[in-house]
Amino acid sequence: MITGLGTIGPCGHGREALAAALAAGKPVASEVNRGAGLHLAHGARLAALVGERDVSRWVPAADARRMSFPSKLVVAAARMALAEAGIGLSDAGGPRTGVYLSTAFGSGLSTEKLLRQILLEGAEAAQPFYFSECVANAPAAQLAIAVGARGPNVTLTQRESGPLLAVARGAQAVREGRVDRALAGAFEELTPLLHALLDRFGALARAEGALAEMPRPFDRRRDGFLAGEGATLVVLEPEDMARARGARLLARVGWSGAAFDATASVSDWGDGRTPLAATLRAGLDEVPGGTAGVSAIVSGASGTRRGDRLEARVLRDAWGEVPLPPVLVPKAVVGEYGGGILAPGVLALEGATFGPTLGFEEPDPEVGVAPHGGGALETPSRVLLTGLASGGAAGWLVLERAS
Amino acid sequence: MPGADPGRRPCGPVVVTGLGAVSPLGWGVGSLWDGVRSGKTAIGPFDRFDHSGHRTHVAAQVDLAAEPGRRRGKSLRLSLADRFAVAAAREAVALAKIDMRSCGERAGVYFGTSTGGMLETEVYLESLLAAMAGRGHPPSTSLLASQQNNGPGDAVARDLGIGGPVQTVSAACASGAMAIGDAVRAIRRGEVDVAIAGGSDSLCRVTYAGFNALRSVDEQPCRPFRGDRAGLSLGEGAAVLLLEPLERAQARGAMPLALAAGEAATCDAHHMTAPHPEGTGAAEAIRGALADARLDPFDIDFVNAHGTGTPLNDAAECQALVAVFGDRAPDLPVTSTKSLVGHLLGSAGALEAAVTILCMIHGEVHPMPDVGPAHPGIRLRLVLGRPLPLARARHALSTSLAFGGANAALVFTRHGDQGPAH
Repeated sequence: MITGLGTIGPCGHGREALAAALAAGKPVASEVNRGAGLHLAHGARLAALVGERDVSRWVPAADARRMSFPSKLVVAAARMALAEAGIGLSDAGGPRTGVYLSTAFGSGLSTEKLLRQILLEGAEAAQPFYFSECVANAPAAQLAIAVGARGPNVTLTQRESGPLLAVARGAQAVREGRVDRALAGAFEELTPLLHALLDRFGALARAEGALAEMPRPFDRRRDGFLAGEGATLVVLEPEDMARARGARLLARVGWSGAAFDATASVSDWGDGRTPLAATLRAGLDEVPGGTAGVSAIVSGASGTRRGDRLEARVLRDAWGEVPLPPVLVPKAVVGEYGGGILAPGVLALEGATFGPTLGFEEPDPEVGVAPHGGGALETPSRVLLTGLASGGAAGWLVLERAS
Repeated sequence: MPGADPGRRPCGPVVVTGLGAVSPLGWGVGSLWDGVRSGKTAIGPFDRFDHSGHRTHVAAQVDLAAEPGRRRGKSLRLSLADRFAVAAAREAVALAKIDMRSCGERAGVYFGTSTGGMLETEVYLESLLAAMAGRGHPPSTSLLASQQNNGPGDAVARDLGIGGPVQTVSAACASGAMAIGDAVRAIRRGEVDVAIAGGSDSLCRVTYAGFNALRSVDEQPCRPFRGDRAGLSLGEGAAVLLLEPLERAQARGAMPLALAAGEAATCDAHHMTAPHPEGTGAAEAIRGALADARLDPFDIDFVNAHGTGTPLNDAAECQALVAVFGDRAPDLPVTSTKSLVGHLLGSAGALEAAVTILCMIHGEVHPMPDVGPAHPGIRLRLVLGRPLPLARARHALSTSLAFGGANAALVFTRHGDQGPAH
């Protein structure tokens, strides 16, 4: 059971800021610093960056000075989630609290600074702080230290599917009684260098002629995603324990699944929808009501050519002749970062308003999925979150209204 | 199983039916076993990258010239860590005599890595910075294709045509052991029938410079648990275990090499780079793995310790072993594979799991080099100089203790010795 949600991203701090941005349906994008000269001249310029970088409300300065930016984001989002769950800091940790996080790139700035020191200033210039913070599990470790979480401390690195796998993993640990509480979620840090490299790969949306630089999920003209950063964490507890302490129940974690498309290339999506659709179909059979029991899809589509096409084909295969429920595409707003769909998934169950999927104007016959147009939505009782990763991995997670 | 997902099919014991390894001792488990049994370290001078500016100049590197069947064109978009992983996985699958493509969505990959394609990222960034300074052309982005940590696991999954779950753990030095633990649980829950579990990492400048910056690297080959130990030695390589339910293995006539009997993970929540001095988190992980295997400390016949050779790790790990094994600790054989192949970081736990199983199969605990004086505070029965015959070893423990305080412990049981509890 999810009893707390903490989120910090390009929209600001907390669920209210995110909900307002989702309702507006407008990408929260700003100019990336291209001053280092790493970018291509006509490359991408925008990213969904965290603007409000002061997290001192959640992370005391004395602790923050020993943390990288993503570590601070993670600790802040976790404390936000714990506060919402009504769990005091002194009660948050212990041997029965586990941490389950996901990231694609880890602490980018620490890695970059360390590499620059090694490559430009000489090997012995490397600073220990950047090394200890550049490992992918540094934010999870900082969180464990901050709250005293002595249970399993896991960081998954499975690109876009990782966040759903991490929450599923935390939920499994709670279900199996391995932990009484799991802090689960995702984080990402986007540096100018990472932005430039993603653009050099052709992964990012670009301005083209009269078309503005914008992610266009499921649109015929889509040409890449809007890179983003932030952190989203949830508190997971057994339902009976949460009810016993009178916690507010935000959502129940239902079915989760994962599969792999071996036709994918190292850095792109493939065409092998069969194993993905088979896994999703089998999973939906376990959901009460089957596909009819899923009242909305919170899609991980982000505007990539092959990724959105695969996402659409897998969904259509899984649903068969039955029309898809409303498809919400939050990454059009918050950008592509791991936690980008976790918080919107929870908010959807609470009746959050989702604006039109900006950028979607011309349906793609190859895709055949029309995302949510911005009209009124009946509050979903059950949502399917999807995360299809470049490279072949896929993850799904069902969240249900707690009541 | 309480709380198991509905519709899943819980299974009985999980067994290892395939092993694969790439290590500084050679390509393949045969080279690995011959090497660790010899007790001669592979740590020494290396040339993977320029380390002239460092304080230390030793590591254990894989001989790339010996890579079997390497096809250069195909390897371009794979990192070195990917190539290690694919080679180890192919060997494990061949040993298990299993057609992975026929397993479809019922086969999964559970992998661990610490740095993935960092070595290639360094080459790319160095070239890019040089090009910006007017020296040469910008490098090809293909160097970065497999930069991320999901690279090795994904490469294995693509190579084997996996259709089921693929998951990469990046928990620093505990990654490989955690990945194996995840695979065991996934099979027990009935999520998959077959799991490829392991880890892979290559030497790179980030870790070499980083551990040097922490003053954690020994100028000499590391000497775990010895009195004059002065740090770790870095290594590289991969190891893979092929796991499946015992019932399934028997049905298809496969020979179980060992039971993956128990696993557990904890966190010190103490310090980013130093273990808890009393080894409390490590001790809890060991107790958890023993409980998961339904064993008592008395049942364990030997330990393949994390044993990095750093003063802090070995002291804390010794404390943990004493806390769990009590009066028996001074008599319990303890070895550290890192003394021979260096610290493989994200794949260390996987390689050490493979070596632990090899020790049980061969009825010998491999030795560490007999160098350096004993430490008066380390009251463990270290296996030094020559293999320790242990033909009746039934249960063994492998530990992994990581940056950020993550701990993982695995218990393996010789097939046929699992007892009625299983």
